[in-house]
Amino acid sequence: MDMNEIKEIFFQECEEQLAELESGLLRLNDGDRDPETVNAVFRAVHSIKGGAGAFGLDDLVSFAHVFETTLDCVRSNKLEPTQEVLKVMLKSADVLADLTNCARDGGSVDEARSKQLIRELEALAHGTPLPGASEAPAAKPAPAKAAPAKPAAPAPVAAAPNDQGFVPVAFSFDDFGDEAEAEPAPMPTFEISFKPNADLYRKGNEATLLLRDLSRLGEMSILCDMDSLPPLEAMNPEDAYFFWKISLRTDKGEDAIRSVFEFAEWDCELEVAELAEGEQSVAVDGEAPMQAVPFDLSILDDEQEHPLGVVEEEEQIAAGEREAAANALETASNVLNLASAAAKAAEAKQAPASAANAASAQQAAAAGQTIRVDLDRVDRLINLVGELVINQAMLSQSVIENDTNGTSSINMGLEELQQLTREIQDSVMAIRAQPVKPVFQRMARTVREIADITGKSVRLITEGENTEVDKTVIDKLAEPLTHMIRNAVDHGLEMPEKRVALGKNPEGTVRLTAKHRSGRIIIELADDGAGINRERVRQKAIDNDLIAADANLSDEEIDNLIFHAGFSTAEKVSDLSGRGVGMDVVKRSIQALGGRINISSKPGQGSVFTMSLPLTLAVLDGMVVTVASQTLVVPLTAIVETLQPDAASIHSFGATQRLISIRNSFCPLVDVGRILNFRATQANPVEGVALLVESEGGGQRALMVDAIQGQRQVVIKSLEANYTHVPGIAAATILGDGRVALILDVDAVVAASRGQPLKLESALAAVG
Amino acid sequence: MAPKKAASKTLNLAPVLDLNEASALHSKLTEMRGSNIVIDASAVERVGALCVQVLMAGAKSWEQDKHAFTISKVSDAFTKTTQLIGVNVDHLMAKEI
Repeated sequence: MDMNEIKEIFFQECEEQLAELESGLLRLNDGDRDPETVNAVFRAVHSIKGGAGAFGLDDLVSFAHVFETTLDCVRSNKLEPTQEVLKVMLKSADVLADLTNCARDGGSVDEARSKQLIRELEALAHGTPLPGASEAPAAKPAPAKAAPAKPAAPAPVAAAPNDQGFVPVAFSFDDFGDEAEAEPAPMPTFEISFKPNADLYRKGNEATLLLRDLSRLGEMSILCDMDSLPPLEAMNPEDAYFFWKISLRTDKGEDAIRSVFEFAEWDCELEVAELAEGEQSVAVDGEAPMQAVPFDLSILDDEQEHPLGVVEEEEQIAAGEREAAANALETASNVLNLASAAAKAAEAKQAPASAANAASAQQAAAAGQTIRVDLDRVDRLINLVGELVINQAMLSQSVIENDTNGTSSINMGLEELQQLTREIQDSVMAIRAQPVKPVFQRMARTVREIADITGKSVRLITEGENTEVDKTVIDKLAEPLTHMIRNAVDHGLEMPEKRVALGKNPEGTVRLTAKHRSGRIIIELADDGAGINRERVRQKAIDNDLIAADANLSDEEIDNLIFHAGFSTAEKVSDLSGRGVGMDVVKRSIQALGGRINISSKPGQGSVFTMSLPLTLAVLDGMVVTVASQTLVVPLTAIVETLQPDAASIHSFGATQRLISIRNSFCPLVDVGRILNFRATQANPVEGVALLVESEGGGQRALMVDAIQGQRQVVIKSLEANYTHVPGIAAATILGDGRVALILDVDAVVAASRGQPLKLESALAAVG
Repeated sequence: MAPKKAASKTLNLAPVLDLNEASALHSKLTEMRGSNIVIDASAVERVGALCVQVLMAGAKSWEQDKHAFTISKVSDAFTKTTQLIGVNVDHLMAKEI
């Protein structure tokens, strides 16, 4: 594993820690005072600092250090986490994220901002008024020893012997009582007896490594029982003669201790017992006292790269579990000490932090039930399952074609196969499904920043963050969502004074909701601002030559005008939005995902943007239809109903338009074959079938096709990736008979059919 | 005891003393029985519990033989490992500076 890979894993972990940090801070902001939340926040910053130290990312370390010091004050109840304090902390979390991104991707951070925040954080830690703040925060003055680079309390860690000259960090323990500063509450002490069998060594495990990992859980003393060691001539050099008695002071708990021995537990006798408070570990009669284990063992870390004796003995090693153990050790858990070993350079003083960190990471890896898998592998699997589905469909088809007398056993077998493949497909899709939470969390930051810049006061409420959707959808969701949030705050919400004048709460609300609805994910963004100014939008559209001056548009159609290219009603172009690449880009990205976006707005009450997105971009339930001897697939979600028009219900309207009357209302009839240029003249509606579809604007259209072949799940193959974008076509698929069928982009077809008042090109460009 | 320097043999320990080295170390030590021995552990980068067992068994045998078993130089890794696993080698360390 080279340095870059290790670093990459570190950054992945950073991302998780940052998410943890932010959600913790937000919980605190909402009034959560659970000490565990504060601890989680502290741990996140601490872990980032530790890892950054190992890689020599000095900017990150120094910022994280100041941040951590202030958090420590909150942890030890020296600093009340008021809204004001949390505001600084949330901003600091943003800067920490920026610094992490910079360290990964290069680029620079806003130094003035990070310096300002360092000053603010230090002020909080010292209990002095915030620089630039009008009044002092509700911080009790913290004693001088909480200052950066000085220990906040005489922590046992700092007392441990070390010859590396490291500077102890402020570190206090959660169980501190009121008199916390005077004396730390005793940490539980465990007495561990560890007797390896010869098998432990034979399987390539190494007692020294196990003991090393154990020592990282806390303060450890050890006694090696050598009584059974025979003289040289009587010994078998590969047998186990050393037994250990260990006393470990740790707050990590018995599970963490046992997890160190996880892969060796069958090959040793292990006893773990927690000593009652105040009880001393009992020394066996006449035995030497336990020997304290040095705190800094980083020198032993490069062993990790070649676990002792593993390379040559690999054949003998009992396959799977051992391998898994080695892998687990090499990847997730020991990243940080690997890193410190590889980057031996100058981090002697950070080594303790990274070691402590590694221990907790290891613990987490052992406890967690997840694995980290390369996305490519999942994609390959999904692709293969897609092929399997196609193959199964082809098999069914050829059986049906060749099986005239309908042998029931074959058919039954095929049906079972079909069910199985469908189940496999669903399970594979579920692997890719992830909660939208990370994206929503990012939005919280966007809102904070824009609120700061615009001077508006905004509260973001998120709901349904745990709604799961395909990872590709999540990845592509962030950009349009950011844009829309910016718009909502910048254009939608009024300034606080104006809100007060209107009798609204001066604090604006932006509500972000995710939910599942009939096989799609619906994301709603609502603000309680001014709503869309239809008069201005209309005027602007006329000015920009988007609509004719006398065009008669419904409110809904006017609202939807904002999705057109180059449309921005902001009177002055601000830094935030209104750069002319507004909602049309949003709409395009949503449509590229196979989604729809819709707006409804009430003047004075705000706007609601509703996005409906497919849960996955890999499969689709579709209706297979024939149009001008071509086979097309129409997404089932778009179809409201199908009907066979009779001549009496068809009415001509204007030169080319035709309407169909359905239950006493008229609906425009759209000949798909004509729109897609499959044929030169319109087909006779009476000979075909009409598919009633609901378009993005909520209006209905009847799509004319020649015949319906059936309904099935199809595997989506991107046209863009394999060929090029075709207007009116969303993607392609391979049918059971091996032929390619195009999947219809219903919204694009409907938009194209409108012709007037919207220009055909711009309508199609918008879906491009 | 009173070891004489002239009669001492020196064993330079290999940098890597992992599980596979235990048998080899055992044979080497067995061959060197019968005279004072000086162990040079200054090159050791990694040492596993099995090799420490062999060394300590050697020290036991040498003591029985009334010969000197001395560790002359140690590397940091060697010291740290023995401290970690609670094996005290101080009494075997060469006293002269």
